[in-house]
Amino acid sequence: MIRRHMIETLVVFSFIVSAALPCSVGAEPQGKLILFHAGSLSMPFEAMEKAFEAAIPKVDVLREPSGSQKAARKVSELNKPCDIMASADYQVIDRLLIPDFADWNVRFATNQIVLSYTDKSKFSKDITADNWYEVLQRKGVSWGHSDPNLDPCGYRSLMVLQLAETYYKQPGLYNKLIAKRPKENIRPKEVDLISLLQTGNMDYAWEYLSVAVQHGLKYIALPDEINLGNYQHDDLYAQAVVRVTGKEPGTFMDIKGNSCTYGVTLIKCAPNREAAIAFLTYMLKPDGGLKVLKDMGQPPFVPCRVPTEEMKARLPVELKGLVEVKK
Amino acid sequence: MEKREPFFWLTISCGVIVMAFILLPLMDMVTAPSLSMLKETLKDRDVVRSIWLSMYTSGSAALISFVFGTPLAYLLARTHFRGKRWVESIIDLPIVIPHPVVGIAILSVAGRNHWIGQMLGDLGIRIMGSVTGIITVLTFVGLPFYINTVKAGFEGIPPRLEKVSRSLGASMSSTFFRITFPLAWRSMVIGLIMCMARAISEFGAVVIVAYHPMIAPVMIYERFEAYGLKYSQPVAVWLVLVCLCLFLALRILTLRRAREI
Repeated sequence: MIRRHMIETLVVFSFIVSAALPCSVGAEPQGKLILFHAGSLSMPFEAMEKAFEAAIPKVDVLREPSGSQKAARKVSELNKPCDIMASADYQVIDRLLIPDFADWNVRFATNQIVLSYTDKSKFSKDITADNWYEVLQRKGVSWGHSDPNLDPCGYRSLMVLQLAETYYKQPGLYNKLIAKRPKENIRPKEVDLISLLQTGNMDYAWEYLSVAVQHGLKYIALPDEINLGNYQHDDLYAQAVVRVTGKEPGTFMDIKGNSCTYGVTLIKCAPNREAAIAFLTYMLKPDGGLKVLKDMGQPPFVPCRVPTEEMKARLPVELKGLVEVKK
Repeated sequence: MEKREPFFWLTISCGVIVMAFILLPLMDMVTAPSLSMLKETLKDRDVVRSIWLSMYTSGSAALISFVFGTPLAYLLARTHFRGKRWVESIIDLPIVIPHPVVGIAILSVAGRNHWIGQMLGDLGIRIMGSVTGIITVLTFVGLPFYINTVKAGFEGIPPRLEKVSRSLGASMSSTFFRITFPLAWRSMVIGLIMCMARAISEFGAVVIVAYHPMIAPVMIYERFEAYGLKYSQPVAVWLVLVCLCLFLALRILTLRRAREI
């Protein structure tokens, strides 16, 4: 154990002394495959990793979950070696990785926002899809969401609150709710909130449906008009606008609501392109990765989608058959 | 000139490699932001507040370690009892536990599902997302460094001196405060520095217990995620500079006094 540690430290030594890693070229899929993905994809990707490694034992899948923005920044700014990047918001790939670090962006699954809780949460017996906004305002109830500046789930949670104002015809609801939520109840990622729920430090947390299902949490499912889960309501969702921090401190940008749509891409300078394509081929198959997603509360697109013919042309040959062109 | 043994050159070259290993990445980080960028960052109230909060919370953790750790370190240095090895191993535990686990462990006793959490709640004390919570975490991770340093300090003082004091009729407490403490205070200052240094660098456990209010390492993380490297580096540089000055001052102070004695 110690020896391994020493060897790794030596590798770091030599890494610092030498130059950056070049892109490698290989033939058969083998070796390490590095996958950066959104925190909310942790469980399905863990299951996919197992299935994929069982089928192709020579490949070792290394997953790094983080906020989607962070995953993108690890590639674009830290130049960390990475083969595949999967984001909880496909727009993150468009915004931060295309065209310099990636060529295409496949939308592969959806999700929706729910209000999750445990049976020990205050008023857990009373809460329903009709009175949740009233329960959240009660005295002593502690609820939170993830950081809108770092995590798509964070700004999406705020969008749900905005949409609820119109849907339930409660003018001023959004501001009233935000006033009830101290800054301390914000966490970097939506999965960080789960331990707060489970340890009784928080009563309710805004989560993705998939995360609530995978962690066995109770949850209130909201109407399609406000849950950001149905892309047919995208026009309605676009009425919600959340201001998040911009490219530098002190600047801001507005993000318009849209349905929770997951995107995946292959990084241009992937150290292990062969294994990455093999994994993507498995992942985007209806009876492969997409089935895993479906079983874990994350409805997939069957088949997966790219927005334009032009982007489809840029896909690796192996993936073209698994993808359709749809806006 | 006298001929050096190859071993001498081995020690020198290893020394150079170690220095380069520590300094190269740090130099790179420290020199990356421009001066104007550093100035700009210092004007940012949030940044100043977070660095101050880091100093304040880790300093508090060091003081708490001082109050509770000193007697225990003395006990461990002076007495032998069954299970002493166990006690020492337990004190070292916070060093080996992965940081996020520390955070989750502290939150689980502080939550409503635990009697301690219920008691704290009744008293109106909040751990999650509070300065109290941050100090709790930092004390947890810093305590072993204080106790181990001070224990070694006490062990370096000959028990003979204490025995003389006791034989002349001084009580245990007055012996401790009039003989042992003045001789060991330097190791305590070093212990405080070690403890505070460890506390100031903690990120993983704190971010679970308290994201807001933001200590400097959490802010560095938040800045990196939200704005990228360019805006997180200056905060890191300021934190490193402030720590460097503080610890250097403390060291110089204690070394000079030691020479006077």
